[in-house]
Amino acid sequence: MIKLESAHIEEVRGIRKLDIDFQKGTFAISGPNGSGKSGVIDAIEFGLTGQIGRLAGRGTKGLSVAEHGPHVDKTKFPDAAFVELRVFLPALGKSATITRKVSAPTKPTIVPASDDVKAALAEIADHPEITLSRREILRFILVEPAKRSDDIQTILKLDEIGQTRAVLNTAQNTLQRQQRTAAAQIESSRSTLLLHLQIATLRSEDLLNAVNQRRKLLGLPQIAELTADTKLDAGLSAAVIRPDFNKQSALRDLNALAEAVKRFPDLAKAEVDAILADLARLESDPALLAALQRRALIEKGLELVDGPACPLCDTPWEDEQHLRDHLKAKLAKSAEAQEIQEALLEKGTAVAQAAIRIASLLGQAQKIAEGQGQGVVAQMLTDWKADLEGLKASLTTVDGLTGLKERLTAGWLATPKAFPKGLPDLIEKVMEKPDQTTAVDAQTFLTTAQLRLGDYREALRKNEAAEIAYATAKEAYETYCAVLEEELNALYDEVEKDFSAFYRAINADDESTFTAKLTPSEGKLDLQVNFYERGLFPPAAFHSEGHQDGMGVCLYLALMKRLFGERFTFALLDDVVMSVDADHRYQFCRLLKTQFPDTQFIITTHDRLWAEQMKSAGLVTGKSSLAFHSWTIDTGPLVESNQEIWAEIAASLAKGKVETAAAALRHHLEYVSRLLADQLGAAIPFRADANYELGELLPNVLGRMKDLYGKAANAAQSWGNTAAKEAATNRKAALSNSNGAANVELWAVNKAVHYNEWANFGKKDFEPVAAAFKDLLGCFRCEACDSWLYVTPRVNSESLRCACSAITLNLKPKPK
Amino acid sequence: MATLQQQIASKFLERLAESKQVDAGKVEQLRKLLTDSKRPKADDFVKIFSLPAGGDVK
Repeated sequence: MIKLESAHIEEVRGIRKLDIDFQKGTFAISGPNGSGKSGVIDAIEFGLTGQIGRLAGRGTKGLSVAEHGPHVDKTKFPDAAFVELRVFLPALGKSATITRKVSAPTKPTIVPASDDVKAALAEIADHPEITLSRREILRFILVEPAKRSDDIQTILKLDEIGQTRAVLNTAQNTLQRQQRTAAAQIESSRSTLLLHLQIATLRSEDLLNAVNQRRKLLGLPQIAELTADTKLDAGLSAAVIRPDFNKQSALRDLNALAEAVKRFPDLAKAEVDAILADLARLESDPALLAALQRRALIEKGLELVDGPACPLCDTPWEDEQHLRDHLKAKLAKSAEAQEIQEALLEKGTAVAQAAIRIASLLGQAQKIAEGQGQGVVAQMLTDWKADLEGLKASLTTVDGLTGLKERLTAGWLATPKAFPKGLPDLIEKVMEKPDQTTAVDAQTFLTTAQLRLGDYREALRKNEAAEIAYATAKEAYETYCAVLEEELNALYDEVEKDFSAFYRAINADDESTFTAKLTPSEGKLDLQVNFYERGLFPPAAFHSEGHQDGMGVCLYLALMKRLFGERFTFALLDDVVMSVDADHRYQFCRLLKTQFPDTQFIITTHDRLWAEQMKSAGLVTGKSSLAFHSWTIDTGPLVESNQEIWAEIAASLAKGKVETAAAALRHHLEYVSRLLADQLGAAIPFRADANYELGELLPNVLGRMKDLYGKAANAAQSWGNTAAKEAATNRKAALSNSNGAANVELWAVNKAVHYNEWANFGKKDFEPVAAAFKDLLGCFRCEACDSWLYVTPRVNSESLRCACSAITLNLKPKPK
Repeated sequence: MATLQQQIASKFLERLAESKQVDAGKVEQLRKLLTDSKRPKADDFVKIFSLPAGGDVK
């Protein structure tokens, strides 16, 4: 994973041009709604992944990165819209720059373009879940169990694991069919061997008895034991060994074929009828047929969905969810089709086995015809045998069976026209042959027996190999399933424990015994949570919206911890804890700091108080915070608390834009006044709507600071701390001087309250006002760390300090 | 830390290696396949399972 060092954003979403220095640490971006915060999240997400989550999903019909990624004024110039991110790659210990243009979202420029850097950045591009928005939270907490399961499985990349399981199952089924074919081959070669030997079983003694009778006739030694190396025709000299024509055996073979022909009408008839019925069902339901044919394609398509456009045909959808639902409905339809597929293959394999048996009989007849010089019949039998053997491949695939429909209807054996006459003719030819002498009969009996035993043993060997292959595949599939189940159960246990622990950490005051239960079952993932030890309930049953928000973030963090482990170094949290109340937010900050000390969170919020709380809790500092006060279509987000505020005001004045400078100063004063009123504990008349005006805030803040400096000086005096007294006194004097010099209390604030009046100022009128406020505000911050001063604790304050502790003024006098 | 996929693959191979049904040669081939290919195909597995036994000479 990565840590973000800095971002340069140009013409992306609502941003014209913005640079942010993230310094590889947790960073807060605050501002009112519509001030451009989420635009920063969008831009970072785009820079890292090439996607913008907000432009995908429910309710985003017709939105796309290509058309809506650029600033609205640059939609026709997407080349101008780009994000350049400087990232640190902890695993590699080095930094890199990734630049991504909206016009080429899948082709970022990476420097250095080394393989390790590209691989690290490709990994994060594959994880859009680094961004968590409030909408995403609902995915985890409020959705129905099946949807939650889908979403969580997607985050955990479980679809890839499911894919491996599926192909292992396919391999197992393929090898099972191959093994059945091999078994049919054994049966076939066994039958021809038995037929030749004229015995009923292949017991060793029966076989040897038949063989030894002929060997005795020929004066050959008896074979006492049948081993793998036994040659039934051993002892026959090469000169004596005749071609493997044995008249009686040949007649038995041909008669066996003739008998089989009588059974042709019923051969595998039940299986063929079932196949034809299933094919007819597919034909009558085109959607089912299409589902079957497209199943593999749809499965692939589902894997590739990453937005509202179909990855298979580019058709735009209302949103990604609709597209996913559509594809899943198709897959559900194809689940029915899959049942038909399995039935078709089962029946097809049975027909293939029958074909193998017939082909075997034809093979024997073909040899006899050839031996008897019956070339035409031999060729006919050769062709037919090859045809039936070729049929085997088509009978074991759905496409093949579909293509065989006509043949299966007309008679799958496709008996050649010449066969009904050719076979009797061949039998007659063989019968016309003079009877062989007893010696020749015995010799050919032995040579033929040896050949057929060899064929049978070869079939056994092939079947054994097929059985081993199938058993191996079965073992592998079952092992994978077992491991998968164990690991998933362990995973959900871990996620459940982490989720509960994180939630308890946030809600230690009122739900310290909180527990949750994640229960996976058949594609669903039930989540139930304990409600004040009254039992387990769905999250939305009794918990408040704020608590549900907390649950969503906690479940997200638990999942990310499980997904990335120590590599979880970066996450974008876009306005995700807005409903969590103040006390719990401090606990949330502590959770992030203690449980994820090496993770950089980029957190946005529209809640000023929450932004300040993140600072108070030490999650971020003034330097790792950014506040937008507003946004305009021409400027993009306007930063209110940045270090360059005075430079921006000066730049505006240099261009004669007093109105722009006045607005910037006004916003800055509003921001600082609110912040200082909070941090210093200024006494502001309460307003239920919290809509405080600058005129209510700033005078009280000034008064409060004077009071605090006075208290600090008195406290230092009481302790005899001369240096501290001097420091406090000097700061109070500086504040009075700045205040007095600018006379701000008397008129500038009043002007500021009605700031439109500034718009009528000339440049020369406004410059002293800006300078006076700059001096004044400088009295409220630390020169060393630039942070705004604050009191601690917030009630009955005991000290006034800054973030770096360079300023620490005691407020408590020595007890008398 | 290994990903979940890697963990499952690793435990799967470890379990197969202990099985008398699957010889060491095939386990090694499976390890290579699962490492090299993000989305292995059924035919890849069929080829491996159909290999002659690669264990000790008998």
